[in-house]
Amino acid sequence: MDQQRGVILMENEIDGNWAWSSFVPGAEVPWDLKAAAHLYRRAGFGATREMLENAVSRDVCDVVDELLSGDEPESFRLQMSRLAAAALASGKAEQLSAWWGYRLLSTPAQCLEKTTVFWHGHFATGADKVTDPGLMLTQNELLRLSAFGDFGELVGKISRDPAMLVYLDSATNRKAHPNENFSRELMELFCLGEGRYSEVDIREMARCFTGWEVRRGEFRFNRYQHDTGVKTFLGETGEFGGEEAVRIVLKQQSAPEFVVSKLLRFFVMDELPQRHSDLIEPLAREFRETGLQIRPVLRRILTSRLFYSRYSTGRRIKSPVELAIGLLRCLEGTTNTQELSESLRQLGQGLLYPPSVKGWDGGRTWINSSTLLGRSNLVRRLITNQNTRFGKKSLREYLSDQGLKRPFEMIEAFEKMLFAVPIPVAAKERIESLMRPGTDVSTNEGLHALCTLPEFHLC
Amino acid sequence: MLSRRRFLGTSALGSAVLTFGGQVPFAFGASAVCTRSERILVVVELQGGNDGLNTVVPADDPVYRRLRPTVAIRKEDVLPIDQGLGFHGALRGFADLLEAGRLAVISGVGYPDPNRSHFESMDIWHTCQRKEEVRTDGWLGRWLEEPSGSSDRDPRALHLGAEKLPLALMSRTVRVPSVRSLEQFRLQGAEDPKFLDAVQALSAAGRDGQDDLLSFVQSSTNSALAASERLVTASNVKTSSIVWPTTQLAKQLQTVSHLIRSDMGTSVYYVSHGGFDTHAQQPDAHRSLLRQLGDSVKALLDELQESGQADRVVVMCFSEFGRRVEQNASDGTDHGTAGPVILAGAGLHQGLVGVMPRLDDLQDGDLKHTVDFREVYSAVINNWFGVPSERILKGQWMPVNVFQTQVKK
Repeated sequence: MDQQRGVILMENEIDGNWAWSSFVPGAEVPWDLKAAAHLYRRAGFGATREMLENAVSRDVCDVVDELLSGDEPESFRLQMSRLAAAALASGKAEQLSAWWGYRLLSTPAQCLEKTTVFWHGHFATGADKVTDPGLMLTQNELLRLSAFGDFGELVGKISRDPAMLVYLDSATNRKAHPNENFSRELMELFCLGEGRYSEVDIREMARCFTGWEVRRGEFRFNRYQHDTGVKTFLGETGEFGGEEAVRIVLKQQSAPEFVVSKLLRFFVMDELPQRHSDLIEPLAREFRETGLQIRPVLRRILTSRLFYSRYSTGRRIKSPVELAIGLLRCLEGTTNTQELSESLRQLGQGLLYPPSVKGWDGGRTWINSSTLLGRSNLVRRLITNQNTRFGKKSLREYLSDQGLKRPFEMIEAFEKMLFAVPIPVAAKERIESLMRPGTDVSTNEGLHALCTLPEFHLC
Repeated sequence: MLSRRRFLGTSALGSAVLTFGGQVPFAFGASAVCTRSERILVVVELQGGNDGLNTVVPADDPVYRRLRPTVAIRKEDVLPIDQGLGFHGALRGFADLLEAGRLAVISGVGYPDPNRSHFESMDIWHTCQRKEEVRTDGWLGRWLEEPSGSSDRDPRALHLGAEKLPLALMSRTVRVPSVRSLEQFRLQGAEDPKFLDAVQALSAAGRDGQDDLLSFVQSSTNSALAASERLVTASNVKTSSIVWPTTQLAKQLQTVSHLIRSDMGTSVYYVSHGGFDTHAQQPDAHRSLLRQLGDSVKALLDELQESGQADRVVVMCFSEFGRRVEQNASDGTDHGTAGPVILAGAGLHQGLVGVMPRLDDLQDGDLKHTVDFREVYSAVINNWFGVPSERILKGQWMPVNVFQTQVKK
């Protein structure tokens, strides 16, 4: 499909110094409900009206720091562990997928959870191949624990992660037949990007990981199967083992650039400008200078001029997770997360079910005839499902409690929370005319119609 | 069949109308209803290892009778094809298609050093690669990565079914949607005309400014709503006289027919038909599976013919392997090697293609393949889709001579 490859660019170039200087609210881009909603949609999944109003009364940096604290109350963590254990007891990875959906909906630390989804797509591992859901949970916890931490440490842990090794057919790696899969993906997909290494680098590096095994669900180093000989790759020579291989890969100039551009595509814009080295370079330098620490680079992104500019707002397409979790979180929605996680899978973003080790390409690839209809239908199902409650009420009652009774007021509120770009006035008027005040059905119908507009899919 | 004269008579029209597709179909012109030119492949995967020898039966071969005392198909139950071969009696649908010149049987399709594991062999068929190689995509997935020359927003391939996406459709850059049912292609709420009118009008209305991401979503939404509406029309209005079987496979192929007739821009449809692992009590189970197969493929092609779309559709039925020549002690057969690939639809050399493996020249009790499966894929890619196949098949494979006219690139 052409649109899946198509990168039609709106600008050739963005000045990196301008982009990464701190956002200063002003007449042109004020720190208002719109900007706050943008921050929450991108750094997390979305915020209620109350949260947005609270956010604009504070300094933007305070709000970002709160998002990046990643604090979850101990009681919440305990509840999540208990539910995860129950999901594992079923033996079904689908239950664990539903558990994650529930976590996304209910966590107070939504930026941590959003970043965990990012790393899940980056270090993509699929439950249909890793048949033990316990290994998927272990990996999921690793990603969450390291989400804001040290990228090098995260790569080191992932390279010993049983689920990853099983997924990449590297659960046994013998001296006589080194498996090249992991060393290839380590460079191509995790750290450097395609073309930043040679096939010889891959083969030589694969020897470093010989003897790395998974036994009974645990990582094990089998020294009898480890190739202790001299290896030469990426310009270095030595009797390297796996840890040194990871260290050498992370030393490459292209590593911070690769990771930073992926973070940009996830948090800022689907499609980078045609010439983007000037844009990437300052951020990549900062990432390198902090020793590949993730939290500072995220902070730089979320407090930058670029992030609040027209280069960022509305410049992404909502992933299915962003669409569904966002809709619910903005309206304090709760629902049957098993049905929700199944729907996400049908729309192409099953949690724990990435399409391949490459993860989700995102952007325009989310969109085609069947997914667009599916997205609209998912919204309708979510809203009208008897298991879905908004602040424990029907949608109409929930809005009414906030003083939103007339269709026009509801539409204005939905637009502020759920839309990254303005809804055409004619569309608002037409949808308003569909809605009769005071009925649940027409409130639901109105929101469904709004969410079927093309504008709704932009983030 | 379309005669040569008929082809010549309509080709000028065909090329004038259909240049955007980049290819001129040799058999275009049967219908004024059809607005699309893209050729379509419907893959029917027979899961579990279909018993090729009881599908295309060597009814006159004494070795067949001797090695299969209780499992062999009786000669009077065979529907003759040619050269002593005939269809299992349950394949009336295939026999009718054959008689109408719309079916070809490629015998003895397999590959060297055959693997008898379902998953491994299926993966080999799907990817054209062995276990030792890194397998991240399938042959159809790699085909999808070729530029289509069309700006259409519809998915170029669709998988119908509840199981996971077949490896054959996996690609590193293109994701193929899996569709469980037509329901997913219907806009919920569209039964209320006021709602439908509103979302259609609002999606189609012009927008201020030049936001290419928004225009992309907008045009995709328009075409999705349009396709959905066409689909609803296609399934509401009884446009066909075909009586479909009620089996699962028939339901899926009926969906395929609906989608083709609703003018989806999809070129590859993929469905599965499971249950062919007949180690025990084979005869009844196999008969039922084959009847479902023959009847539903026939219904699909008949319905498409009635709607004037059959000239651009080919169905390909394959299985990961055939079964052992000698039956086992449980009135069943064990995993084997080569088997027939059946193509049905437009533009085919009718009848038997390739060489039936000899039953008196076996390797470890199994048939020696006479055609490599990649030669079949090569015919589909080169001659049907008109695309070079070397990158897609990871090597050069001569197309098996099963299509009547080869598309010139």
